[in-house]
Amino acid sequence: MSELTQELKAKIIAQLNLEDLTVADLDDNTPLFGDGLGLDSIDALELIVMLDKSYGIKLSDPKEGRKVFETIQTMADFIEANRT
Amino acid sequence: MIKPLYIHGMAGISIQPTTEPGYFFDRIVSYAQNPIPARDPDYKALIPPLQLRRMNKSMRMAIFTSQRALQQAGRTTIDAVITGTGLGCLRDSERFVEAILADEGQSLNPTPFIQSTHNMAAAAIALALKCNGYNMTYVNNANSFESALLDGMIYLSEHPDKTILLGAVDELGERTTTFWDMAGYLKRNEPTVPTPLAAGATTGEIAAEGSTFFVASQRPVPSSLGKVVAVETCLETDDSTILITRFLQKHGLDTSAIDGVLMGYNGDSRYDSLYHEVTNAQFAGIPCVGFKHVLGEYDTVIAAALALSIQILHEQHIPPALLVSGPQPQQLSRLLIYTQRRGKNHGLVLVER
Amino acid sequence: MSTPTRVAVTGMGAISAIGMDVPANYRSLQASRHGIGPIQLLDSAHCGNLLVGEVGITNDELAQRLEIPAGEAYTRTTLLALIAAKEAIAGIGLADGKRTGLISATTVGGMDATERYYDDYLVVETHRHFIPTHPCGYATEQMAHYLGVTDYVTTISTACSSAANAIMLGARMIKAGLLDRAIVGGTDCLSRFTINGFNSLMIYTDGHCRPFDEQRNGLNLGEAAAYLVLERADAASKAPIAYLTGYGHANDAFHQTASSDNGDGAYLAMKQALEVAGMEAAAISYVNAHGTATPNNDLAEGQALLRIYGTAASIPPFSSTKAFTGHTLAAAGAIEAVFSILALQHQEIFANLNFSQPIEALGIVPQTTLLPAEINHVLSNSFGFGGNCSSLLFSNAHD
Repeated sequence: MSELTQELKAKIIAQLNLEDLTVADLDDNTPLFGDGLGLDSIDALELIVMLDKSYGIKLSDPKEGRKVFETIQTMADFIEANRT
Repeated sequence: MIKPLYIHGMAGISIQPTTEPGYFFDRIVSYAQNPIPARDPDYKALIPPLQLRRMNKSMRMAIFTSQRALQQAGRTTIDAVITGTGLGCLRDSERFVEAILADEGQSLNPTPFIQSTHNMAAAAIALALKCNGYNMTYVNNANSFESALLDGMIYLSEHPDKTILLGAVDELGERTTTFWDMAGYLKRNEPTVPTPLAAGATTGEIAAEGSTFFVASQRPVPSSLGKVVAVETCLETDDSTILITRFLQKHGLDTSAIDGVLMGYNGDSRYDSLYHEVTNAQFAGIPCVGFKHVLGEYDTVIAAALALSIQILHEQHIPPALLVSGPQPQQLSRLLIYTQRRGKNHGLVLVER
Repeated sequence: MSTPTRVAVTGMGAISAIGMDVPANYRSLQASRHGIGPIQLLDSAHCGNLLVGEVGITNDELAQRLEIPAGEAYTRTTLLALIAAKEAIAGIGLADGKRTGLISATTVGGMDATERYYDDYLVVETHRHFIPTHPCGYATEQMAHYLGVTDYVTTISTACSSAANAIMLGARMIKAGLLDRAIVGGTDCLSRFTINGFNSLMIYTDGHCRPFDEQRNGLNLGEAAAYLVLERADAASKAPIAYLTGYGHANDAFHQTASSDNGDGAYLAMKQALEVAGMEAAAISYVNAHGTATPNNDLAEGQALLRIYGTAASIPPFSSTKAFTGHTLAAAGAIEAVFSILALQHQEIFANLNFSQPIEALGIVPQTTLLPAEINHVLSNSFGFGGNCSSLLFSNAHD
């Protein structure tokens, strides 16, 4: 499980060009949106693309993303539960 | 009635070190390549990392130069943002086309699509400054900045108390550069900057990029840098001298009232003769200043020429590297900028001290 | 003080999925007959699954109608534009010495050729004469040549509010005394670029768009072009068909793509349009809404309408015509300006199709059927990416 969270952190940093951050800077439970990392709705769409391309999971409603992308941990849990 | 527009602050990014404090074309960076990307300043100094990470080069250049222009004008807010860009956020457009051709029907990353929209630079400025005011983007090839300038003058005549950001940005593409080369636009043989003019000119342009922004209003203040009196564009003309005579006449002037001209010589032997004819017929004996031979060619390079003309009027001196013909002047109070691109998109700007 | 210059509309032209000219568009609106269907002409992987508002004739046929010699490089955006602009200037001689401008809006420009030949250009020469057509300004310059406009030519690109902004600039230039006449409007053809773009934003519906419905789930794209002829009212070359009495423009300054929850930009644009016209909100008989049917737009626009009018009950009849034509991007502001003028001419409010359930957070209900009504003033909204919000106010010619 922690392997997946580490992998996710690296992928998020790369996908969203968070060049000033390293994997070590990201906590499993830091909120990704709002007051946490400060991501926005366009980042959420990019994360949906990442879920599809890297893990074969398709979200058809962007609203679903809000819950899934709350933290690195919630993303990892969702991927574990849904990946094929 | 349209009134002059006063410039209170300005800044530019180009292929020359124009972001360095006090730079006035005293040192020209040479290149032997085509295309030539603009010199990146330290964007992080003026743009927060969370915003910067997603910005393409047009957006970065526009935000950086608009912030610098505001700093010079001593302002943190603005009432309107009016921009010109010939080709918009070209690189993101290319990235999105490439994604479609590779993966249509699969999940595509939306960011390049969003940021391919032509008004993204003006929008990013509004967002950065929380400016709810008028926000416009002109995309009319090599007359894009002139259209923005004219709109700025109209806007200020409607709202005499407002202060606006006026600017231009164009970035290089990758594939698009290949296409322009195929279309015969670009210089292939020994492309260099400074680009040889006159007898040394060969066919083709040097493709470059850049951004220039101005803070402007109708009200002069002691620190105002200069003023734009008039701007005009013309898609096509058989005779540029008639165009210029009429333009000056409209403003109660003739060619004798002009102390110096900035001409868009770019070293493309197919079109530079146009400038030569105008100089000989109308402006013989007065200083003729070039700028494209050191800044390269792009649709909105005339914005950089406007900044240069204001700097020249302020310094009362023409950088020797830019003097194409004529003498160093005694006194400069009124300059005329004239450019065209590939024989069309003629632009005229009248600038005063 | 001299009386302020009035801006008359003396001509209009339109081509969209619901008609090849203005009368055909009107017949469809009057019959509540939409033009949304599967992709027929565009070569896209989305042919089977996404619905569009396509103009059902090929580029070759369009070129033939315009008597453009075969082999000349005109992209679809320009061809559509010329059909509409030609209709708009019918009966108006442009060579009468009046200063005439052409202000055109596009976001797609020559992208339909660029995306088609992107790799092809590299390997064969066949289509390379299309290379110069890529820039948005090229389309306008071809139009200027074809129509014979020389005094002022420019192009605006501010996403989905582009055409409204072109119309606004025309009026402002006439009022500023810089032009006597302006051909203003916008054009965008369908392209894989825009279809995939809106699909990647997950705001492209899987069916027919449902503006202002609680269950709305995105837009359909469409293609269209529409142009108006604006003239100084005291020197118009034809009897006016309407007046452009107000216009407003503001930036939402909230997000790259999303509108603010309370519709700041939309509110300011409408407020300003009313101020320019010197009118109270209550004077508006019909609001032609932007109403793209994305969750975000309709909520923000609805909020802005509530802010202008105070209560849901005070909002005049309003509808989005996007369910007829699809969202035609840079043409939307112009095609909907034509629809607004048709509403004034025929004293009819056009239906907001596909509506069944009001947005819970707003409680506002659009006009869902054709409604004959006394119409004196129409407000037409256009909002775009980058927070770009514009509102135009058209008034009856007999006012």
